[in-house]
Order: sequence, then C-alpha cells, then structure tokens
Amino acid sequence: MLHVPVTGSSESAAGEGFLSVRGLNKRYGDFIAVDNLDLDLPKGELVAFLGPSGCGKTTSLRMIAGLVPATSGRIVVGGRDLTTVEPYRRDMGLVFQSYALFPHMSIAENVAFGLKMRKVGRAETEQRVREAISMVRLTGKESHRPAQLSGGQQQRVALARALVIRPSILLLDEPLSNLDAKLRDEMRNEIRDIQQRLGITAIFVTHDQAEALTMCDKVAVMNAGRLEQLGTPVELYEKPQSPFVASFIGRTNRFAAVAKNGAAELAGLSIPTPAGMTGKVEVMIRPHRITLSAPADGAPCHAVEGVVTRSIFAGDILQYEVVAHGATFLVEQGTAAHERPLEQGSPVRLHWLMSDTYVFGAAA
Amino acid sequence: MTAIAPTLEAAPARRVKIPLAVILLIPITLINLIGFVAPVINLLSFSFREVQATGAMTGGSSIASWVAIVTDPFYIELLVNSILTSLLIVVLTLVCSFPIALLLHRTTGFARTVLLFVVITPLLTSAVVRTYGWIALLLDGGVINSLLSLAGLPTLKLIFNSTGVVIGLTEILMPYMILSLLAGFRRLDPRVEEAALTLGANPFQTFWRIIVPLTLPGVALGSLLCFVLAVSSFITPKLLGGGRVFLLATEIYDQAMVTLNWPLASTLAIMILIVFGGALFLYLRALRAIA
Repeated sequence: MLHVPVTGSSESAAGEGFLSVRGLNKRYGDFIAVDNLDLDLPKGELVAFLGPSGCGKTTSLRMIAGLVPATSGRIVVGGRDLTTVEPYRRDMGLVFQSYALFPHMSIAENVAFGLKMRKVGRAETEQRVREAISMVRLTGKESHRPAQLSGGQQQRVALARALVIRPSILLLDEPLSNLDAKLRDEMRNEIRDIQQRLGITAIFVTHDQAEALTMCDKVAVMNAGRLEQLGTPVELYEKPQSPFVASFIGRTNRFAAVAKNGAAELAGLSIPTPAGMTGKVEVMIRPHRITLSAPADGAPCHAVEGVVTRSIFAGDILQYEVVAHGATFLVEQGTAAHERPLEQGSPVRLHWLMSDTYVFGAAA
Repeated sequence: MTAIAPTLEAAPARRVKIPLAVILLIPITLINLIGFVAPVINLLSFSFREVQATGAMTGGSSIASWVAIVTDPFYIELLVNSILTSLLIVVLTLVCSFPIALLLHRTTGFARTVLLFVVITPLLTSAVVRTYGWIALLLDGGVINSLLSLAGLPTLKLIFNSTGVVIGLTEILMPYMILSLLAGFRRLDPRVEEAALTLGANPFQTFWRIIVPLTLPGVALGSLLCFVLAVSSFITPKLLGGGRVFLLATEIYDQAMVTLNWPLASTLAIMILIVFGGALFLYLRALRAIA
C-alpha cells in the first residue's frame, strides 16, 4: 500500500496545523473572492470546505494548490512556506470535478505521469502504478483510454493519479458532483476509506452539506469569501456560531425579533438573549427539536400553543406547519407504527429546549 | 388497435423509398461531376495527346509528356523542389501560427472578437494585393533593406528567389493555419493543463507532453490545408519568384500559356493531383496514429 511520508523537518510547532493558512486574500478588482482566511488543519484529517457557489471555497483550494496566486496571506504545509512556490513544486494531489484525465494517454500512463515528472525509476514506477490502480479497483483497465471508462471509473483514475505521487495534501474539488446519486454514495465511502487508510491530510470542496457532514472530520463553512465556522459536524450542527451556519447546515425555523433588556419576544414567549445583545436579532429552532409533548425529564423548555395549518406525511417523518401567536413553525416528527398524523386545524402545544434555541444578532 | 394496424400498414402503395440524404446529395454530386470530374478526365485525356512544336495538338496520342516528366531531370527537380518548398512553408506557417492560435483559444469576450477579426482580415484582401505589399517590403531598395543599410548592416537578397516566395506564402497561408488549429484545439481543457502542473510538470513539460499532443489533430488539418494551398499557389510564386523560382503551378501556367504545350501542362496538373492524393493519404494515416 501507499505510505505518505512526513514532509518538512518534523511535526510542526504546537498550535499550528500541518496545513496552516494565514490571512489569505484573493481579490479580483473590487470583488473579494476570499476574505482573510485563517485555517489550521491537523495531519491526517479530512476537512470539507462547504458553502454555496461563489463563497470562495474553490478559489481557496486553488490558492492552496498554487493554481491561483494569492493577493496576500501565507500558506504553510509541514513547516514549509509554499506561498510563492509554483504549483509543480508544491507536491499536492488535486482531483477535479471534471476528472481532467489526459485523453491521449492510457490509464496506466495517466497514473504514471506524476512519477515520470519526478523521474522515479521504471521498476518503482511500475510497482506504484500497479498498486495505485489496484487501490481504486481498476486492475485490468491499465491499457484503456479515459474515454472508454465510466464517470465513476474516471474519477477513481484521477484519485489514483493524485495519490500515487504521495502528495503532502490531497485536494478534492467537488469530485462527486458529476456523478449520479448512487455512484456518489459509493465514491464517498471509497474516498473516505482510502483517505483514512493512507492517513493523508485532505481537503474536500463541496456545496453538498450531506457529503461534508457524513465523510469529513471537520467542516469549514464558508460564505461570501469568509470562513464562518470551522468545526466537527456535531459542533456545527449543535453550536452554530452564526445565523448563516445555523441555516445552511440542516433545516431550521428562522424568526426575526427585537432584543430588549436581555430578551426577545417570539410568539408571545420571552426568549433570553445573550448579554449585551440589543436591536434586531434572529431566533432559530431546528424543526425536529420541537416536540408535541413536554420533555419527560423536566428540562427547561419553551412551550407555546398553536394550530396545525398543514400536515405532510413523508414516510420517515411527519412535517407540520403550526401557527402560534402569528409565528409559523415547521415541526418534524419521526413516524412510528400505528400513529395517526394530526389533521389540519388540530390544536397542539409545541415544546423545545432552551438549549435548542439559537439567538443571533441580525446581519447589518 | 390490433384490428386497425394491418389496414394502416397496407394502405400506402408500395413505392421505392429514396432516403432524404441521397436526394440532398444529388445537387453537389452533379456540380462535382460537371465542375471537377469532367475537367479532370479531360485533363487526363489531354495528357496523352500528341503535340507539335507549334503547340498544335495532332489527333494522335502519345505518352511523350508522361515520359518527359518522369525522366527529364528538370521536371523531377521541379516536382521535388515544389514539394520541399511547400513543406518548408507549412513548417514555418505552423511555427508562426501556433502561438497566435493558442492565444486566441485562451482569449475570451471582446478581445477574442478583435483578435479573430485581425486574423481573418487578410483573407478579405486579395493575395495579389498582399503580394505587392511584400514586394514593397522585400525589394533590394525596399523597406527592410533600407532599414538594414541605415543600421549599417549588409542588405539581404529577399526577393525574386525562393526566400521571397517562402516569406510571402507563409504570411498568406497563416490565417488558414490559425483557423484550422483553432478548430482542433477543442480538446484542450485548462483543467487538464492544471492537472499536469499539480502532478509536477513544469510549464515547458506541460506544453510538450499535454498541449502539443492534444493539438495534433488541428496541426494535421492545418498542415494538409496549407500544403495543398502552397503546392497549388500561383500568383505569389510568380510575382515574388520573379520567374526564377520554378514550382509546379507556375510551370503549368508557362506550359499552357507561354510554350502552349497543353499535353505537358495537363500532365503536370495531374501530377499535382497525385501529390494531393499522397498528402491526403499521409493526413489520414497521421490522424489514425494520433487519435
């Protein structure tokens, strides 16, 4: 199997990641594509850059790969400052959304290309190419041309081609977006397995939150060129630090409110707000954290009376739209056997934990 | 439904169906038969006619013309010289056009429109006019030599020899080469070049190992086109060669219009067709090799 050598002198200094990005900026004229990005990634982790299109995630990745020059900032990998190093001397493996295989070369030649550029000996090249191709389960396809393979197979060739050079970091730019849904799930597991087996540090750019949450150790949520939050999937979901993260990760009820004297009014309730917060705020509650009965353990919760205005049975979940004191709540319940969905017009009492209530200062 | 189906099938009378494609091909077939095949057959028959020194064709037939062009060292040299000069022109045209085509391929928006216009404009000007432009530049007392002598450098013999013909034809054929290359550049994907860069290929290696192989179909097409145009070019070699450069097309003109030896002119014309056939054969072979 492949081994990823430790590049640089040794483990990097404490507090700094294997990949350390400092104050990275990219401007196109007046447009700020990436705004002051700071990032520290530990060795061996798979980190997602997640965000809507145009959020700067791909530009950040391309700056790390050296394909786009940074306007300012520093990129350090394993203690080596790569900021001004040419892409062909950075030692990074990049997998593209469009595969970007060399159409005039066979699969084996594609995989061997990086080794050839590194002047690796013939015997070693042959062995490493064979291993890489077997790792992505394409043994027997060595002499095929890329056009003869399916999309999923082509992306596996691209993965083998990027990994065979034993890069310091594996960069994946929306690698699953051109594949159909079933193949996407398969490839997702395959990429994760290979990444963990090799213990390689990897960045995975995606706009699909399910991909980011299910396969990555950490997720960097980006919006409008800024890093909104970097954390584990659980942290992002349970402790979103901005209204953008709260609404981008998972579904959420969003309410506009006004904070006054340490509280905001929502549907007749007084929601405590963080100290010092005044003016317009946003209150968010996840639909599936709202229950129709009070919590059994008596944990502190909010409760409000309402009426079901819409009832949707979606197989695994029941979705209710509930209007309470003029506010419309989306409520999701897991379905159980022999349960009858509530009908439109049914009175209900909604409960949710105080700790499941997020209050954010509204964006200016 | 099942009851209706047989009647529907039986209803139209049995007629021979001519595919639409065949009908659409009829006009171009007729035009080619009248405008190309018939004259070529005519040429072929002329090449076997007997001719008197006055240029008058007797009724008899003769293979004298064919014997002449395969045995007379003048005609053998003429053929070899034409092919070699045209190949040199193709190579120079390719070298001059490739960077322009690559730049054009990578330019977008208004700049591309402007650049494309600049490339195509020469095609809108007659080759005669452009050739006279080159005469003004290349003459012994022309622009280039005047500048050279101003700079205290020795002047060059740039016109009324092969050098002039090669310079003029290279420039005249460049638009055809650039457009052919551009048509063949569709396989060039900037992502593929980036992939090569991240795999450790420097820009020079990326150019030779990725860009050039992917542009070979365009190179082959442009080379074929320019070769054919160079071998059959007449005005430019005539004017820039000053009667001292002997190429197939100019010799055909001389034989037909000056010496009035139509059978020999016809034989040389057929010879050009054979050269074209050879070029086309090589092109198809090359395409198969690089595809």
